[in-house]
Amino acid sequence: MECREQSLDKLGAHVREALLADSASEEIRLGRAGFLDEVGRRNTAPSRRPSLRRNKGRWLVLGFATSFAASAAGLWLWLRPVSFQVGEARPGQIGDVIESSEGTSTPLHFSEGSTVVLHEGARMRVLSLETGAARVLVENGVVDATIAHRKTGKTRWDFEAGPFRVTVTGTKFQLAYYPVDQSFRLATEEGQVVVSGGCQKTPKTVSAGEKLALSCMPKETTSAWDGHDAAAPAVAPVVEPAPSVARAARGDSWRDLLAAGRLSEGLRAAERANLERICQVATTKELLALADAARLSGRDGPAGVALRALRRRFPGSMDASTAAFMLGRMAFEKRHAYGEAATWFETCLREQPTGPLMGDSFGRLMEARQRSGDHAGARANAEQYLRRFPEGPYASEARGILSR
Amino acid sequence: MLTPLTFVGDDAALVQALRSGHPGAAAAFYDRHATHVRMTLRSTLGPDDDIPDLLQEVFIRALDQIGTLREVERLSSWLTTIAVFVARAQIRLRTRRSWLRLFSPEQTQSWQVEQASSDARRALREVYAVLDQMPADQRMAFVLRYIHGMTLSDAAEACETSLATLKRRLARAEKRFLEAARKRPSLEQWLEDGTRWNAENKA
Repeated sequence: MECREQSLDKLGAHVREALLADSASEEIRLGRAGFLDEVGRRNTAPSRRPSLRRNKGRWLVLGFATSFAASAAGLWLWLRPVSFQVGEARPGQIGDVIESSEGTSTPLHFSEGSTVVLHEGARMRVLSLETGAARVLVENGVVDATIAHRKTGKTRWDFEAGPFRVTVTGTKFQLAYYPVDQSFRLATEEGQVVVSGGCQKTPKTVSAGEKLALSCMPKETTSAWDGHDAAAPAVAPVVEPAPSVARAARGDSWRDLLAAGRLSEGLRAAERANLERICQVATTKELLALADAARLSGRDGPAGVALRALRRRFPGSMDASTAAFMLGRMAFEKRHAYGEAATWFETCLREQPTGPLMGDSFGRLMEARQRSGDHAGARANAEQYLRRFPEGPYASEARGILSR
Repeated sequence: MLTPLTFVGDDAALVQALRSGHPGAAAAFYDRHATHVRMTLRSTLGPDDDIPDLLQEVFIRALDQIGTLREVERLSSWLTTIAVFVARAQIRLRTRRSWLRLFSPEQTQSWQVEQASSDARRALREVYAVLDQMPADQRMAFVLRYIHGMTLSDAAEACETSLATLKRRLARAEKRFLEAARKRPSLEQWLEDGTRWNAENKA
């Protein structure tokens, strides 16, 4: 028996040795990325995993719940939250950039029955979504929209494209917008839409079969689409500039430089191409990257411009709250403006009370209040912090504040 | 002084931080225990392309159940229990897949054209080929005891079973393994090393 155990122990040692000879780093790295992605997703959205906890009285509760659910189902169907799906499977998130890559079109299906299809190269995001109402920002390119009209209650969808706004109440249309020349085109196939904003003095109604082309650049035209028959129901194709021309025109090299980690050069390129203008068309991630490049180059001015633009253009998004946090850090660390920093951290906490920056915002708010002389506020924050994070990274600071 | 988002603290502080949602705790949790969990998965499963996914699953399950952990000092062995659970599910999945592969001629060919890279690699593959023929419970007992190098009581805890049950499973697994190993020449060397060492010690 002992001999058998010795043999198997030795064999086990050989196996361990052979397993350890394999490189673990790649597997561990991939596992880490997947795990932290999942954690991030859970922090930004309610967990979709069912709870494993069991309740002894659950059968009794189930009986009541079933009858309650039956009566509530009708109400829910009427007031149910609207969601959307990108492509065939990916659930859409409010505020996320949705882009259609080269050679493909990307459909968005909304649970109410509406559909938006992004043509190749188009970029958009859903800014808000409620029952019967939505706000969509078309940042670049062509989208086809088919908005389902609700039989019970009003429908109101707003499409924003640069300075233009399209108000929809159940219709089918194609919209194209290019920030490079602020050109806007719209063709309505069914129903009607109202186009306002931009350099127009009064809103315009575009009915089925009609097309509208606008640009706020000096050479403005309001005409039939590309000379096609205005009454033609078919949607005319939109010709995009060649990629190299469009890229040069957009002054995109700052994107490439930032992506390559050449932060100072990327920032300088963005400034040469007009930082203020770029901040009007860049995505949230691009704005955060610009702000990081500026901060790490020791230039808080451009960082503040990018972060404030992000908060102005994408209110309510997770990245807007991240921008508030970063503005707070800059005020705290660089300018020692503790009162202002406290306001930013408070804003971040108010906007994302359970977000991934919650613990850090809490701790920094407490420190900012203490340093700005708001000792009562700091003590209140310290007590709250210790209740929530008794072993957190700011715990010793919190205890220090309470002991003074 | 400002503190970075990265978590600093012992396992007890880490568990508290995970329970309270500290933003840097999940990454610290993974970084601290991933090597150990990976080794548990690798030793129970052998080479498997799904190891990164399984690592992720173990840590997600752990995060979901962190509130149920009573003895914080046993965090590592608690994670082993979860890893064993996940590995056992993977073995069952593989078994189901192997039934499907019976109908796939490509699978047979891939085994035939596979080339041995070294004696150690070949022997390693043979070990897991033998283990693949065992029932999952016996395999777990064998792997945790001999390959992972656990004590019998730790292995019983990881398998969530009694010591007596684990010993029964282990005895059956040892018998099966040795019978199958004798038919595989590349395993003889590894097994003989042990016998010889034992004989020398006795002498």
